[in-house]
Amino acid sequence: MRRYLGKRTITAIISVLLVLVINFTIIRLAPGDPARLLVGTEAPSAEQVELITKKYGLDKPVYVQFLKYLGNLVRGDLGSSYYTNEPVAKLIGEKLGYTALLTLTALLIAVLLGTWAGISCARHIGGGLDNFVGSITYVIDGFPSFWLGLMLMLVFASVLGILPYSGIMNIRENYTGFRRVLDIAEHMVLPVATLAILHFPYYFRISRAAMIQTLGEEYMTTLWVAGMPKRRIFRKYAFRNAILPTVTAVSIHMAYIVTGSALVEIVFGWPGMGSYVMQSISRRDYPVLMGIYLMLSVSVAVMMIVIDVLYAVLDPRISHATRN
Amino acid sequence: MTRSNDKIAKLNENRHLKLSGKSPEKRERFLRHGRPHAHAHGARRKAVKLFIRRNSRLCTGLGMLMVLLFIAATAGVFSPYDPQALSHDMVAPPGAAHPLGTDGLGRDVLSIILHGSRISLLVGFTAAVISAIVGTLLGVTAGYWGGRVDALVGEFINAFMMMPTFFLILIVIALFGSGIGKVMIVIGLTGWTGNAKVMRAQAMSLRNRTFVKAAQAIGESRGRIMFAHIIPNGIMPVIANTAMGVCTAIMTESSLSFLGLGDPNVVSWGQLIYNGKAYITNGWWICVYGGLAIVFTVITFYLIGDGINILLNPKLRNVM
Amino acid sequence: MALLSIENLNVTYTTNGERVYAVDGVSLDVLQGRSLGIVGESGSGKSTLMHAVLRILHEKIAKVEGKIVFDGRDLLALDDREMMKLRWTELAVVFQKSMNALSPVHRVGSFMRDVYHVHRPEASREEGRARVLALLEMVNLPAKRVYRLYPHELSGGMMQRVGIAMSLMFNPKLLIMDEATTALDVVTQTQIIQEIQALEKQLNVTRIMVTHDMSVVATACDEVAVIYAGRLVEMGSTLDTLVDPLHPYTRCLIQSYPNFSDEGDACRSIPGTLPDMRERPEGCIFAARCPEAKEICLLQKPLMRDYGARRRAACHFAEVKSHD
Repeated sequence: MRRYLGKRTITAIISVLLVLVINFTIIRLAPGDPARLLVGTEAPSAEQVELITKKYGLDKPVYVQFLKYLGNLVRGDLGSSYYTNEPVAKLIGEKLGYTALLTLTALLIAVLLGTWAGISCARHIGGGLDNFVGSITYVIDGFPSFWLGLMLMLVFASVLGILPYSGIMNIRENYTGFRRVLDIAEHMVLPVATLAILHFPYYFRISRAAMIQTLGEEYMTTLWVAGMPKRRIFRKYAFRNAILPTVTAVSIHMAYIVTGSALVEIVFGWPGMGSYVMQSISRRDYPVLMGIYLMLSVSVAVMMIVIDVLYAVLDPRISHATRN
Repeated sequence: MTRSNDKIAKLNENRHLKLSGKSPEKRERFLRHGRPHAHAHGARRKAVKLFIRRNSRLCTGLGMLMVLLFIAATAGVFSPYDPQALSHDMVAPPGAAHPLGTDGLGRDVLSIILHGSRISLLVGFTAAVISAIVGTLLGVTAGYWGGRVDALVGEFINAFMMMPTFFLILIVIALFGSGIGKVMIVIGLTGWTGNAKVMRAQAMSLRNRTFVKAAQAIGESRGRIMFAHIIPNGIMPVIANTAMGVCTAIMTESSLSFLGLGDPNVVSWGQLIYNGKAYITNGWWICVYGGLAIVFTVITFYLIGDGINILLNPKLRNVM
Repeated sequence: MALLSIENLNVTYTTNGERVYAVDGVSLDVLQGRSLGIVGESGSGKSTLMHAVLRILHEKIAKVEGKIVFDGRDLLALDDREMMKLRWTELAVVFQKSMNALSPVHRVGSFMRDVYHVHRPEASREEGRARVLALLEMVNLPAKRVYRLYPHELSGGMMQRVGIAMSLMFNPKLLIMDEATTALDVVTQTQIIQEIQALEKQLNVTRIMVTHDMSVVATACDEVAVIYAGRLVEMGSTLDTLVDPLHPYTRCLIQSYPNFSDEGDACRSIPGTLPDMRERPEGCIFAARCPEAKEICLLQKPLMRDYGARRRAACHFAEVKSHD
């Protein structure tokens, strides 16, 4: 298993290194003085510029700069947001929780619904349900994420008025305890629905394709000819075999979940990473942006490794292959 | 097959057969299959109809593309107003003067939609073509050369693929400015990984084919083999992928505009939604029609890309 | 006394509005204790024929007409439940063993035990295990070890033996081997065929072997039926048929096997390909490729004629060579 992990881990590490290099070079390639960019676009004081220059070694040769950069990173220092002057790492950490709440809930719904729909449709390929759901997923694929959010907001918050527009809770009434949880939940409905709808086609396709392939395998015919009732075959053999690709898909998806949800968060004013990115863009808060970018790529890399382990555990073919 | 042909030809001369008067092709068909011939003139029309029926996605997509190209070409003719012209009729609901309403600054939504098609198509095509070129070059190098080159370039492709590219685009545009040209280039330079992987796979399978080995034996240079033999033969899946790439490019451009990083001087649907976001409650038509235009365009290219894939690999007909 | 009797069987596939006549008017019978080999090119319809006997063709796509009498019962008249009871207990099949003949994520023993419990639900776990172990030993496999293995850990020959063991689980009267040895190398193939011949004597099983390999039939089958493009062209005892083939197609098939004495001669293949099975020609099905075809072959369908001693052929010009 160690040898199998090796290859993907190396790719993951390389991609993180790529991000580091990109982060590093892009600031220095951009129009404008890197020091100014790192401090902020509004007129920085001379001392601020001096401070930044020293910290990143901007007056020293490139390789020294890079070493300093790496050194800062290793210490966990992603730089400070010019705006609030707090360390980027801390700021990201705060927002991450809100994003996770939204995206994980949406992911769960999308996976359950999509997989169930995919499996059901696979059993009756070309049937009415299959064509119907298939067409719907096709159309969903064409929706821009932010537009779908806006449309749901329009229908449910504006026209029907049954759900709140934005935010995470009703700030006018300061609910506590269970009432507060309900309030948050109510505010979650629209963004979660948007995300779940957007991710539904992905899981639908994967589980459907996996199930179609599994149903066509020879052992399925053997079991059926041997007389095993279809329900049993499905439950014990089809399901267990077809679920593997979905599991991998979920893990891979988890890696990219933050990027997908940023736009939806912005539409609904959800105080997570997405909105934070938006703010940082408008303020041109580069340290934050680069810090987020780095963090994302690291989490992707970590997820890739987790996926490999997971798959090796679930599929006896792989764990055996690497053992020998 | 020659044996059977000779035999049939010989039998044709035999007058015992009651087939005189019919053309040789028809006679042959009769002899072979014992059935009267099918109508020859209706066959072509039937073949086209069959093609359309079997490749419904591709043909629907192409039809929609025709509509889009028509709109883009004639936007100047059919737009009732200049899309960038401000007016006093702000956030006006759809009516006689403005069939799709106006936005916050009084600009006619219909005109914006018609003109916006140009930018979307332009950005889509350009970015997709750039990523196709970059991807094909990198992919064919990795796939055909193999060995250490593949290890290096292939790893690079994989690593790049893992990176969250949307954020990279965000940062680059934020740093370098949001002109539409820059947007196209950046999207193109980040979206090539899919094409690279496809081309690489094609190159790896093609390099073992006889005609490639023959070219190598003749002494053709590596470059010539790549450009004259491998790329042309492996290009079809890349074309399908590029169609999908157009979808992604259009979505990315509209997402960038929605975040405020779009080119404000250009008429784009994403920009329309960005400006219309604030009026979602009292001016729903701005965002709705802008979005519908995007959906229509994305689905068009998705159908085309999917359709080409199905054409290349009929087994995919079952896949949604 | 015929164990299996097929009368005028037609199998018609309907897809995309087109009809494919996969099996056209086939009549043959299998005597108890006399193994039958069904030979034909790829795509000739021989597998479809067996699938029809087993009734595992999808109703919506394939229409089966005719009579299939097995042990006195018309299989086409049985309903699904009765057929399910019949399958595997009296009528079993061994498919061509590809990688996924058994479920990849379940162990071999567990899989086989599951099949056992389908028809013996009241049996205990130990009984099931004991039966499976006995079967594995019967096919010369290290029973205890194979029981615990996963399918991907088996070699092709081992997988084949597992398939045979599984098919013999309930001592069926008739065993159909559908291209069962095609995927094996010659050495393993010979071994397995010998083992099967020993087993069927021991267990009183009648075997049908579907194959494209005439040499397998020559060594292992008592009788042979030759199928071309969905029609039966010749049938008879293996010895008679190989020594004095009645039908030109059979002659071509036999000739296409290179002889030791043919060193230096070119290979003799049959020019052309199978006809379009969407059409039902009025003449002989083989006429377009037959080296001995005359006019009448193209215009009139040859009837199946008896030549004594269970020999039949469908050719206008077939004659038994008189023995000197």
